[in-house]
Amino acid sequence: MNAPDRYERFVVPEGMKKVAYERDMKIMNAATFTIQREDHTIGNVIRMQLHRDPSVLFAGYRLPHPLQYKLVIKIQTTSQSSPMQAYNLAVTDLDKELDHLKQVFQEEIAQKQSEYY
Amino acid sequence: MKDRPSVMDLPDLPKGELPAHLELQRTRVVCAADAPSYTESVQYSGAYMAFGVDNSLRLEDFKKSFKVEVKYINDDDMEFDMIGIDAALANAFRRILLAEVPTMAIEKVFIANNTSVIQDEVLAHRLGMIPIKADPRHFEYKADDENANEKNTIVFKLNVVCTRKGDRVNNASVKSEQLIWLPEGSEMPFDTKTKFTAFGCGQDKLPEFASSPICSQYPDITIAKLRPGQAIELECHAIKGIGKTHAKWSPVATARYRMHPEIVLTEVLEDDLAEELVAKCPAKVFDIEDLGKGRKGVKAARPRDCTLCRECVRGEDWEKRVSLRRLKEHFIFTIESTGSLPPNVLFTEAIKILIDKCQRIIAELS
Repeated sequence: MNAPDRYERFVVPEGMKKVAYERDMKIMNAATFTIQREDHTIGNVIRMQLHRDPSVLFAGYRLPHPLQYKLVIKIQTTSQSSPMQAYNLAVTDLDKELDHLKQVFQEEIAQKQSEYY
Repeated sequence: MKDRPSVMDLPDLPKGELPAHLELQRTRVVCAADAPSYTESVQYSGAYMAFGVDNSLRLEDFKKSFKVEVKYINDDDMEFDMIGIDAALANAFRRILLAEVPTMAIEKVFIANNTSVIQDEVLAHRLGMIPIKADPRHFEYKADDENANEKNTIVFKLNVVCTRKGDRVNNASVKSEQLIWLPEGSEMPFDTKTKFTAFGCGQDKLPEFASSPICSQYPDITIAKLRPGQAIELECHAIKGIGKTHAKWSPVATARYRMHPEIVLTEVLEDDLAEELVAKCPAKVFDIEDLGKGRKGVKAARPRDCTLCRECVRGEDWEKRVSLRRLKEHFIFTIESTGSLPPNVLFTEAIKILIDKCQRIIAELS
């Protein structure tokens, strides 16, 4: 029938960019990032991370439509920074945080399991 | 108007510190009898600029404050506390566990014979739901146009005939243990491209499966019920997938989190009131405390058991005596695995998937 393929929810179609950057023409230091085939899972985490950055004035995300599998993040920063810089910093920071989290979790598990056996 | 204090006489707020009521709003959800309040998490770095408080959070601060405490763990379930993370991250892990950690599940069923009362499509659906004991990390995803091989497909056969022997009926119910693993691939005759399996070698010869044969995680799942004379003969192909496509690939029964409850007694409660509070709580959170001289007090001995039923803040004046809160940065995370992977491995996989997502959206930014 006309049901869309199941993999369309997470496979980026050929010729489409995973992440697209578009500068806002009306507001200084503002931009929109469009990420294909992602959802609240990463959107909300990035928004959280951007808010922690003192140079970010505005950060928000939305899913334009439940059947369009894409995520839109809008960022506005102070003149000392740029949306691209803030985005890069947020994601690399997040990456490091998660690395740390994984390490702490695994240490705790190893300790717990050594207590049991 | 005489005893109204001048603004100039008010004590200065210490710099770099939030006043108590704002600190409460920042770190707690206050659960009153009617509704919870301060549910949002304040993330904006300049939110408390007026008090000279920097609300930004950097990697170093995170590393200092983050803690994990495992409460219990076994092969199926685990409960652990994560302290010092935001709801956004906790929710990301929950979402990934439910929908994005891969497992193996039966996707194609080739039915040669089915004379049971259960229809082919219903039977196929039931087979799909059976959790399979196979580590998905040893397998690859199978594309639609790809041939099935030993790295992407697990083949099972089911061949049962129900017979009557005197008073007894054999195979009256078909159980999941009757699914037989075919490590050499499909035994059905070559028919179509999808049905054919081209196994390079037997899966039972591969080191990862040599010691632990692949089977259903639970032997006693009823697949169908038969009467004498009825039979089922079929072959099923299990492939790797994620819960986003279909819930049968979800590796967890549930993955959930809740914020740690905190109960503060704002007044000293004695004797009758203390007894009343202990009796009010269905989760048995409070204990009677001996204050000496025959007086009885009360304390919140097991706040973790609190289900937030809010019984303790219901009724006249109780909201003034008891303050019921949740800690915004303390998450009690529970994972119930379906069995293909132990829960701690599932969580590590979830972290890896999130790291992977981060790296992709930074690497593919042109």
